[in-house]
Amino acid sequence: MIDIKNVNKFYGQGDSSFHVLHDINLSISEGEFVSIMGQSGSGKSTLINIIGFLDDEFKGEYFYYNHPIHEYTRTQFSKLRNQNVGFVFQNFKLINTLTVADNVGLPLLYAGEKRKAIKEQVKDVLEAVGLPDASEKKPTNLSGGQQQRVSIARAIVTNPQFLIADEPTGALDSKTSREIMTLFKELNQKNKTTIIMVTHDEKVALQSERIIQILDGRILSDKKVNA
Amino acid sequence: MLFIELLKTSWQSLRVNPKRSFLTMIGIVIGIAAVITIIALGNGVKAKILKELQATNTGKQTTEINYYPNDSTAATQGFSENDLEQIRSNFSATLSAVKFKRDTKNISNTVTMGNDNRTATLSLVKGANQHYDISTGHNITKSDNEVNNQVALLNKKLAIKEYGTEENALGSALSVGDNTYKIVGIFTKASDDYNVDFLLPQKTYLYSTAAQNGSTIKLTFNKGVKVSNASKKIVSFLKKNGSSRKAGSYEYTDMGSLLSGISKVISSLTYFISAIAGISLFIAGIGVMNMMYISVSERTQEIGIRLAVGASGRSIMLQFLLEAIMLTVFGGLLGFLIGWGTAALISLALPFKAIVTFGSFLLAFGVSSLVGIVFGLLPAKQAANKNLIDILR
Ligand SMILES: Nc1ncnc2c1ncn2[C@@H]1O[C@H](COP(=O)(O)OP(=O)(O)O)[C@@H](O)[C@H]1O
Ligand SMILES: [Mg+2]
Repeated sequence: MIDIKNVNKFYGQGDSSFHVLHDINLSISEGEFVSIMGQSGSGKSTLINIIGFLDDEFKGEYFYYNHPIHEYTRTQFSKLRNQNVGFVFQNFKLINTLTVADNVGLPLLYAGEKRKAIKEQVKDVLEAVGLPDASEKKPTNLSGGQQQRVSIARAIVTNPQFLIADEPTGALDSKTSREIMTLFKELNQKNKTTIIMVTHDEKVALQSERIIQILDGRILSDKKVNA
Repeated sequence: MLFIELLKTSWQSLRVNPKRSFLTMIGIVIGIAAVITIIALGNGVKAKILKELQATNTGKQTTEINYYPNDSTAATQGFSENDLEQIRSNFSATLSAVKFKRDTKNISNTVTMGNDNRTATLSLVKGANQHYDISTGHNITKSDNEVNNQVALLNKKLAIKEYGTEENALGSALSVGDNTYKIVGIFTKASDDYNVDFLLPQKTYLYSTAAQNGSTIKLTFNKGVKVSNASKKIVSFLKKNGSSRKAGSYEYTDMGSLLSGISKVISSLTYFISAIAGISLFIAGIGVMNMMYISVSERTQEIGIRLAVGASGRSIMLQFLLEAIMLTVFGGLLGFLIGWGTAALISLALPFKAIVTFGSFLLAFGVSSLVGIVFGLLPAKQAANKNLIDILR
């Protein structure tokens, strides 16, 4: 599904430019559950943002279902993002002035649907993440674990091909972390959703199927997790 | 995103901070209200002038001179046929016609009923109408009027007072001027101009008193005459030579010059107020721009999230642009209503009505949306061009 070839990433330009990713080669197939680990500042977020079509400024080639994404325009990227990938971030990234239901429905609005038409879908995903009664609340009135569930609901509402999660349990206590991981595993196993996740936590990483280690912008190792 | 959903999104965002949205609107409201007010008054005075000019056929101007007796019960009406003759002969160069202006309603005149002389009020009718009812006897008919029948109707109150019963009053005689009328009916429940002592057939009455006297004369001027000056001269002539000069005064209102004066004041005010409104709208626009910039920077996270879930740069730009336009258009519509109200209030003190047209509405709508677009565009572009990666860090 995902084929990344010789990707390099620089921040800044000219003399002050900073080489973050060095010659990354990576393939991910449908249905995988991949963890990316590494020290802080090693380039994990940078890599996952490229994989998730958030960042279109990189050198090298990126084929998504054999489409050359590196040749796409900005507008094409927006569409690709909207229709193929869901995001879960460490700090949830919810719009606090909107209700939970409005937050969850946002990707569908940008997909061109009407507010009226998406109510049922929003209700269903909120049920799926275990928050059937939260739809009219504001995100700030929910606990961290609940907010992360809302953001997962938002990520899966469009039935994306894959999810990217940047330290999804980083801001949560260990009990809540376990709950969120259970949810991810369920999504991966039941819905066959591909998941690519960045984490610091060995225990969390061990719940996935494959672990990629990154050091200073280079892939150090890429191993299957022993069941 | 569908446009309608985009509109709703913008509306939602404005409602998050209603106080700030309202304060931002105030400048627009004032600017538009000022423009609408002055335009409505300008339209009003123009329409009035047009009407006045049309009243004098073929563009000839007219003036009315009124006579006001010092003693309101005086029998003299002020102008006699002789006065008119004198005006005609002395001002033949400027005047094309001099006539009595004939009142048909609420005329005050001396009448003789029974053996009493008294001052009574009377109105003229051309036949039956719905402004009064007949309680006894019969009404004045159309043909009574056309063949100059000398018949009259008497007010019920006066009938009871003078004759005891309505029936007694029927058939009695009433003298007005040289004519004697026969009372054929008693009328009641009269309204407005018909609530007088007597009703008489119009043609009969005017024929009998034709061109003999009146309290108002109407002067029609030749083309090119300076109406105000000429009117002034005629009034001072009357003050020296008029038949009733000792018992009252002569006055005229020169509608034409009054209106053109007001019109001049309003059109110079229009420039002045438009300039002020323009400045006010410009400053208001800057206010909108300022608030939009603040909003864009406060909502950087929101923009990042929207972009991340698939918003295109275009829909982000439109969202913020629509917020600015909604703000200014609401301000503009509010200003339109306030301007309308203000103009209506001011025109209570002026001799014409304020006129608000659909064009004024379009102007308010157009100008306010233009301000929104012009001053909302840069902040909206800034919102759309934010770097997603930097926001998400
Ligand atoms: N938008 C940016 N502009 C400049 N430098 C950045 C930017 N994002 C990240 N970096 C730098 O790139 C390096 C890798 O960052 P990141 O991918 O966030 O690492 P990680 O997620 O592994 O902690 C860091 O040194 C960071 O300072
Ligand atoms: Mg990171």
